[in-house]
Amino acid sequence: MAGTLQRLPTVTPGRRLAWRAGAVVTALAITTLFLALSGRDPRLLADLVVRSTVGSRFGLEDLALFLTPLLLTGAAVTVTGRIGVWNIGAEGQFYAGAIGATAVGLYLPGPAWLVLPLMAANGIACGMGWILVPALARAYAGVNEIITTLLLNFVAGLLTTYLAVGPWHDRVTGALASTGRLPVRIPEIWGVVHWGFPIALAVVLGLAWLTTRTRWGYQITISGANEQAARYAGMKVRARILGVMLLSGGLAALAGVFEVAGTVHRLQGGLANNFGYFGIVVAVLARGSCLNVLPAALLMAFILNAGIVLQTEQLTASAVLAITGLVLFMIAIADELAHYRPVTIRAEARP
Amino acid sequence: MLGLAAGAAGSGLLRPLGLRAQPRILPPVAEADALVAFGHTSPVTDGGWTMAHDQGVQAVRKAFPRLRTVFVESVPYSADATRIFRQFVAEGAQMVISTSNYGDFIRDVSDRAPEVAFMECDGHAVSGNLGWYYITHWYASYVIGIAAGLMTRTNKLGFVGSFPIPSVYAGANAVLLGARSVNPAVTLQAISINAWFDPQAATQAGTALAENGCDFLCGIMDEPAYLRVAEQRGIKAAMWNTDMRQYGPEAYVSSVTLDFRDYYVDLVRARLAGTWQPEGRFLTLGCGVDRDPWGRTVPPEIAAQADAMRTQIMAGYNPFRGPIHDAAGRLRVAAGEVMDDALIYQWDWAVAGVTGLD
Repeated sequence: MAGTLQRLPTVTPGRRLAWRAGAVVTALAITTLFLALSGRDPRLLADLVVRSTVGSRFGLEDLALFLTPLLLTGAAVTVTGRIGVWNIGAEGQFYAGAIGATAVGLYLPGPAWLVLPLMAANGIACGMGWILVPALARAYAGVNEIITTLLLNFVAGLLTTYLAVGPWHDRVTGALASTGRLPVRIPEIWGVVHWGFPIALAVVLGLAWLTTRTRWGYQITISGANEQAARYAGMKVRARILGVMLLSGGLAALAGVFEVAGTVHRLQGGLANNFGYFGIVVAVLARGSCLNVLPAALLMAFILNAGIVLQTEQLTASAVLAITGLVLFMIAIADELAHYRPVTIRAEARP
Repeated sequence: MLGLAAGAAGSGLLRPLGLRAQPRILPPVAEADALVAFGHTSPVTDGGWTMAHDQGVQAVRKAFPRLRTVFVESVPYSADATRIFRQFVAEGAQMVISTSNYGDFIRDVSDRAPEVAFMECDGHAVSGNLGWYYITHWYASYVIGIAAGLMTRTNKLGFVGSFPIPSVYAGANAVLLGARSVNPAVTLQAISINAWFDPQAATQAGTALAENGCDFLCGIMDEPAYLRVAEQRGIKAAMWNTDMRQYGPEAYVSSVTLDFRDYYVDLVRARLAGTWQPEGRFLTLGCGVDRDPWGRTVPPEIAAQADAMRTQIMAGYNPFRGPIHDAAGRLRVAAGEVMDDALIYQWDWAVAGVTGLD
């Protein structure tokens, strides 16, 4: 009798979930150990984190506000992943969406029921425009989209800062380095939580249906799995790549629209708060499934929210970042380990 | 339906509050029950702006040993700032002090927490429970500008700024006006690097200014990068926040130094006693902001001439008097008029002779 490890070709969702839960517990255990070693009371901190995130209305409101952009940027990166494309530029498209929405909000007077949809439409169009060149270059010239989408993030971030301190600068209320307050806002439904949250949820659910239950979604999956085979089967692979990337840009831009019209109400540098990059993390956790974006974004939102609680308990921002990294690192290892199971090989009976 | 619920245009209120305009008198708090929270814009170890505020926090701890203080450093200028201030309130803080401008991010929280006292450094709004404070750093910059005007050989000053916002306009304008008061041929070239703390960008900006012929660098940075540039190139530099002469003893001229210790102790004492009221407050030259003792390469007669103006300002003289033209040549302050602190605090145009900000 000898023990060995067997690699499973596919992992059932239940098995992966169990491994991931183990990973989170391990990461938290390591964190607890370090907190205890540095002379803090981990139980007190854990109690505070739970109370200030999921244990109070105040924490739940913040969680929903974090979730809104994370759901959309996570979905943006996930949909391109299904066709084998990495959109690293959600941050830039987020800014483009915020810029587009602000342009309409600041300079188009009108009733909110008219202006808000126009802001969203223009924001989404700007986000699509922001990814258009990388998308065309990827679909028709084979240019690596990882580099092109990433580099445009810096352009979008600086453009936002330029607009906020330059041509659109607020000279009325004396706010520093930001535009004037938008005259319209997305109405709140629950405390500080605005309509962007249920809309983002609905969008993700709609995408889950679109990617798994429609002919278009099927073509995306096949094109991502084997481009040659898809082409041979008569699918328009390039058009699909273009379509998915534009959709992705629009989704990230919608996150920017919600952030500026629902939460911040002014355009300013730093607005995106790294939500575009966290969207990549959410997509990696979601493993290509739009439905999985929901729990993945929830975990990310919880970590970010817990980070703020821990900072007010005098943990440095770097320590919080380290805890985030540890959790994700453990999950990555767990995802791989879930493929293995111990088996016992019986010695073959000899005649 | 979305639109009907959207509320009044331009309303900053999240829910109606009757006492918005009137200052609220907050009841006294026992020292042992009090929690005072500070939100900082950069790490407390930045060696500049936030370190100066942290010294104030330590002075509060020393003056009120039983009081609890918490701080969060590197508070981002995004909706995360609102979350952090909300968290302070949720933890029961009676006073929240933000050591940098967070605008609506703090106002959104203060309007919802009328029983908590809020103070915002470089803030511009006063509400029922939110006030602001700031240092009148332009007088120190003016004094340093006099030294710059007397020390420059090329008549070109360089300025490393962050964003074109009033405190940067006031800093650059004050240096140039001070320099021109003794040397009318001086000009000032500014570069904005979109950050308060970015040593690499500040080094590049300082080098570019030196290449352009500037032989005196100044600016508003939290760290000493452009002082090192000046030291290497054998030119002069004036700094901000703290004494930074150790990073360039030959180049160091002076610094706009900050001291919030007494002010923070007074602020917390007033809140504990129940006498705190929301107001806008300037810390004046010699009481929270000053020029640093002059560097060792500053000629004594130049130091004396600049210090004569410092003494005059501390006696009540305002050197910001017309005629002052803007960079486009328009007369903005007529002869015989003075710019008071409230006007300088809103300064959003560059004076004639300053380039690179508009």
